[in-house]
Amino acid sequence: MAKPKIASDWMCGCAGCHMSLLDMDERILQIIELADLRSTPITDLKHPDEDGVDVGVLEGGVNNTASEEVARMFRKRAKILVALGDCAVFGGVPAMRNLCGVQEALQRAYVDAESNEPGSQIPNDPELATMTKTRAIHEVVPVDYNVPGCPPDADVIFYVLSELAQGRKPELKDELLHWD
Amino acid sequence: MQTKRAMILVSSDPESIRLGANDLIKSLNESLAAYGLQDEVDVSAIADIGRADIVPLVIVYPEATVYGPVKAADARYLVEEHLYKGRVATDLLAPPKQLSGHIGWLRSRKGYNPSEQRIVLERAGRIDPDSVEDYITNNGYEALGKALTEMTPLQVIETIEKSGLQGRGGAGFPAGRKWRFVRNAEGDKKYVICNADESEPGTFKDRIVLEGDPHLVIEAMALAAYAIGSDEGFIYIRGEYGVAYQRLEKAIQQAEEFGFLGQNIFGTDFNFKLHIHAGAGAYICGEETALIESLEGKRGEPRTRPPYPTTNGLWNKPTLVNNVETLSNIPAILRNGPEWYKSIGTPSSPGTKVYTIMGNVNFSGVIEVPMGITLREVINIYAKGMKPGSSFKMAQTGGSSGSIIPAALQDTPMDFESVRKAGVSLGSGALLICDQSVCIVDLVKVLLQFFRFESCGKCTPCRVGTQRAYEIIDRITQGQGSFEELEQLPELAAEMERASNCGLGQTASAPVRDMLKHFRTEVEAHIRLGVCPTGVCPMVAEEETAPA
Amino acid sequence: MINLKINGQDVQAPQGSTVLKAAEQAGINIPTLCDHKELTPYGGCRLCIVEVQGFRVPIASCTLPVSEGMVINTNSEVLQKSRKTILSMLFSERNHFCPFCQVSGGDCELQNAAYHEEMTYWPMQPGWNDFVVDTTHPYFILDNNRCILCRRCVRACAEITGNFTLSVAERGAASSIVADANVPLGESSCIKCGACVQVCPTGALIDRTSAYQGLLADVTEIKSVCVGCSVGCGITLQIRDNRIVKIEGDWDAPVNRGALCEHGRYDPMYEMRARITTPLMRKNGALEPVSWEEALSAVADKLKPLSGDPQNGVAAIASTRLPLETLNTFKELFGDGMKSGLVTSTEEGMTTQAVSALADKVGTFEGHLDTLKNADVVFCIGANIAKSHMVAGFMVKRARPFGIRIISIDPAEENEMDEIANISLKNKPGSDLALIEGLKAIIVDEGLGRTPLTIANPQQLIAEAVEKTGLDVESLSEAARGLAHGVSPVILYGKGLTAQRNPQLVEALLELATLVGAVDEERVGLLSLKGEANSQAAAQLQMESQFTLNGHKAVFAAIGDDYVSKKLVERVSVAPYLVVQAAYESELTAKADVVLPVTIWSEQEGHYINLDGRVQKAIRAIEAPAGVRDNQAVLAELAQKLNIPLSGDWQRASQARHSSVVLN
Repeated sequence: MAKPKIASDWMCGCAGCHMSLLDMDERILQIIELADLRSTPITDLKHPDEDGVDVGVLEGGVNNTASEEVARMFRKRAKILVALGDCAVFGGVPAMRNLCGVQEALQRAYVDAESNEPGSQIPNDPELATMTKTRAIHEVVPVDYNVPGCPPDADVIFYVLSELAQGRKPELKDELLHWD
Repeated sequence: MQTKRAMILVSSDPESIRLGANDLIKSLNESLAAYGLQDEVDVSAIADIGRADIVPLVIVYPEATVYGPVKAADARYLVEEHLYKGRVATDLLAPPKQLSGHIGWLRSRKGYNPSEQRIVLERAGRIDPDSVEDYITNNGYEALGKALTEMTPLQVIETIEKSGLQGRGGAGFPAGRKWRFVRNAEGDKKYVICNADESEPGTFKDRIVLEGDPHLVIEAMALAAYAIGSDEGFIYIRGEYGVAYQRLEKAIQQAEEFGFLGQNIFGTDFNFKLHIHAGAGAYICGEETALIESLEGKRGEPRTRPPYPTTNGLWNKPTLVNNVETLSNIPAILRNGPEWYKSIGTPSSPGTKVYTIMGNVNFSGVIEVPMGITLREVINIYAKGMKPGSSFKMAQTGGSSGSIIPAALQDTPMDFESVRKAGVSLGSGALLICDQSVCIVDLVKVLLQFFRFESCGKCTPCRVGTQRAYEIIDRITQGQGSFEELEQLPELAAEMERASNCGLGQTASAPVRDMLKHFRTEVEAHIRLGVCPTGVCPMVAEEETAPA
Repeated sequence: MINLKINGQDVQAPQGSTVLKAAEQAGINIPTLCDHKELTPYGGCRLCIVEVQGFRVPIASCTLPVSEGMVINTNSEVLQKSRKTILSMLFSERNHFCPFCQVSGGDCELQNAAYHEEMTYWPMQPGWNDFVVDTTHPYFILDNNRCILCRRCVRACAEITGNFTLSVAERGAASSIVADANVPLGESSCIKCGACVQVCPTGALIDRTSAYQGLLADVTEIKSVCVGCSVGCGITLQIRDNRIVKIEGDWDAPVNRGALCEHGRYDPMYEMRARITTPLMRKNGALEPVSWEEALSAVADKLKPLSGDPQNGVAAIASTRLPLETLNTFKELFGDGMKSGLVTSTEEGMTTQAVSALADKVGTFEGHLDTLKNADVVFCIGANIAKSHMVAGFMVKRARPFGIRIISIDPAEENEMDEIANISLKNKPGSDLALIEGLKAIIVDEGLGRTPLTIANPQQLIAEAVEKTGLDVESLSEAARGLAHGVSPVILYGKGLTAQRNPQLVEALLELATLVGAVDEERVGLLSLKGEANSQAAAQLQMESQFTLNGHKAVFAAIGDDYVSKKLVERVSVAPYLVVQAAYESELTAKADVVLPVTIWSEQEGHYINLDGRVQKAIRAIEAPAGVRDNQAVLAELAQKLNIPLSGDWQRASQARHSSVVLN
């Protein structure tokens, strides 16, 4: 039997969850023995295989039309979709901008912030994705497994991936489950 | 009492007053004086008679000719024509389509319609609410006198139990049994509270009683106090009911003067002191324990039960809380006996029910009909049919916490047992009749908007549940609905019903549940097709999320 | 006992217990957020719902009284689902993102409840109301965005503190916790006791000083006793890296049951005085650091010749914030050893001398703070308990909704009791005896007394009272009747009365208490408030005399971590030689010839006798800085250098005389 395929990507997050994934150190070799790592931000493939992967892992929330596309593509191509980290599970820090609205947040970040040069403006290239309210992935597409944590520990990620790669359902409880 | 040749009754409900009823009374008196008729003709104010389209309304006795709407400027003409010259002022007559204007209608006064039967509204609109004499002349305080002098408190309770009277506040709990609970509760001090905080949207039946027949409530409360062994009572009246408050205040004063309230009533050792307390505009205070908290001067939040008010009520004393409509049945039951009462309505739900009808029908107003009448009958007989071009789609009963009854269920008899079987509720007795132009999603959104605003915030399921459900439905009306969220609705509704602290939270989910049960296709059309079938919902997002 | 069945297990619970408590006692855990053992059940969060046989819907177990034969299920599948949905609702309601919350990681009861249900996420789309964070309070922050509206803070403010500052504004999802009529906390009627912060289950109310300083898992908890005043509240100290991170009221402490005031909770956290860490000695007119050996030897050399001279030798004064052991050693060293005639405390017996004098005569006559629990009338004379002994004040203030009547009599213009008293009288200073006699006369005259007492000429006494107090007879009668009508009255008296050093006053008060039934065979509702933490200990050691220097050649002042009054500094500065044993720099240390740096309350161990006679042990929580020595050790070393033997038997010493309160 062919090894199960795993793909991952990041959206509106800080890449910290993928850093945490790398924190599993040599145990990543065990994962590679168990599964085939396909497209990830740390490999060369850009998109999950068109004929589908077994496990899709997404870091970050959905905050614009581009990440919405990524989420939908992953849902379409992955049999099992894992939301990795608090941003993916709850929206996380980026969701705090929902309190003030996109416009105010952009204004503050690109124009009003003290560190900006005078005359700075909000990027308005038409090719840029359209910003939306920040949402957790499950608010956009159904998610099979939520792995919270900011970031989730390497142990947790290793446990989840190895369980999924071996066809078992990972269950997060006790020390494995934390949101901070 | 001096004998008068004729009597003029003028409606003086808030709407009539707004349209100049007070000026009209003044002008009538002036006109009578001008014609020298002041000693022959009496002018009295009466309360709302359940119609808003022809006020200010004037009824002239003994012919019982009904005029309306009458302006102050018409007074002189009316006096001259009808009372001086002795002929009907035809051009002022109330439209005969709605009101017959015949003497026979008022004599029998069973209502506008053949099968309407009035117990609760027996006197409202017929007597001067500010006159205790009028009340006494119409069998008033007869029941109290009978009970105090001929019956023991237990006999009173037995009579009510035998009559099968059920609470009209919504839950339909047997009134007699509640009285017995309070009677049997231990305590040296007990209270009677009349819940007159009528705040259900579209419901104004209690107001009709309070404004038109305040002594009825006072008599009933005195009877209840006698039966349960209380000597102090409170009427918790909705803050917005200004006229009713004044009338009650006056009625209590009169009752005290006449010895129907106070010390040694009817020469017995029964004492009863009655207070009125106006609410401050919170819907939740219609819930009996929140009402009690509010009376105690606290934030109006429902208590947890058990213990129930029957044992631990106002200031932790056994307390009887009854709704205005429930109480209004009491004197008639004691006067006429439980058998008489049981002969009205259905065997499982005796008596009458007062409904306020509104919506896409030809007649809006208050009716009192025997229990067990169907919705179809109400629409076609009492409401005089749907408006031209309208067809019946659904009815919303009992204000907000009532049910949404689809057309398919309109032949269900409206009594406690039958509606319970059909999975709907009578609630407070409002009937909002909707036609095909009403969108179910929009209707439920409006109801939830009310609930999320009126939830007191004490318990999580109600406070958050109403808010989340509103948001989900709001998103559906904005074309942002999703099936995932639609699936959350029944879960939310079930949780609110299961885990909420009081009736508000437990029933607030009813519109959501009914919507999904009866009108799911219509809701799904909003999500699947992005279209509101009735064209009511905007179906576009209200806020622009993209940067400019 | 009531028998019921919970999850198939037979459980017994006392009448009036709730299902939640019964389950807890049987070791069955029912999750809850709004319930708190020291607060009245509320039934708001609905997390504790259980299935009860015969009930249509699940019921909140925190408010459900147990009844015979009840059959309860706490953990069905439906209930588990319910709890998850309720938690989801709570999480989605406001900003409950854990990664940046102060209490996240073990201290948040909301988060812990969700971990308990093994929730990895919540399915509902959050919809936040944005609330302004209230940062106007000097000690804590109110963030309604983290609030779950459990109202523990509102209940604590009313039921523990009795201040009724916090309440809920608005309705439904717009509800928020506000102070008074929605004013900023810092401008409100808040008395800064921090009870609300202590009970908050989430990060909605957080301490400024302890925020982000360490979670419960990071700190060591030590139960000790507050030395702020004579109430002697039990406290829980949270220690991390030899630093106090937070002080909380000890829920299990019998005195305060978790309550604590501003002075107990926050004052030590905001200690700004400069610490002395090395012995100092005056050389060429200036204080210079010296070694302990040099300092102590110098002191011993100076004091040795003064031994045995009670009149002009050494005068010794010690703070009543010092532990009983230290005070006893102090007494043994200077009184028994050096034979000094002036060994006293910084309170100089102001709060105890008159009381002790009466105790010497009649034995123990004072009661217990617990009598306040069932009191229906509290009569305060010369006492400002709302200010001076705040936690005792809470006990009175929180009883107001239950109909307690408060009578306050005090000539002092400013007395916080006036705001809450039903009757408040301001008599002329010095007229207290006439006033008490007048009250007695009125009660006897009107036949309101509960024990027989004959007064020859009541009218004359009443007239005298009117004349001396400057109050009219109506006010006096009102107060007398108010007191006499109480079924279980309690009389509290304070410094205003005792500072007059007149045992007659206390005796008159005792007679009044007996007359109105405040004191009888079953209960003793008469209590003086005393002063600082160890007032009563100083009284027992007879350190109650006034500190009047009279040709004394040296003064030894053991101040510990206490504040020093200007008056004391003035009096002491005339002494030719001054030794100050203190933790912090002060005007007094500046005038000293030798300064001995010592430990503060949290760095030393020892016993305290609180105002109702409880002998409680304060525990060492942190290590003293290098160079600083224990108060007790310094005195012991000095005694050794002076060849004075110490017995160290503080138990015997403290019981050598009759105490006004029962010591236990």
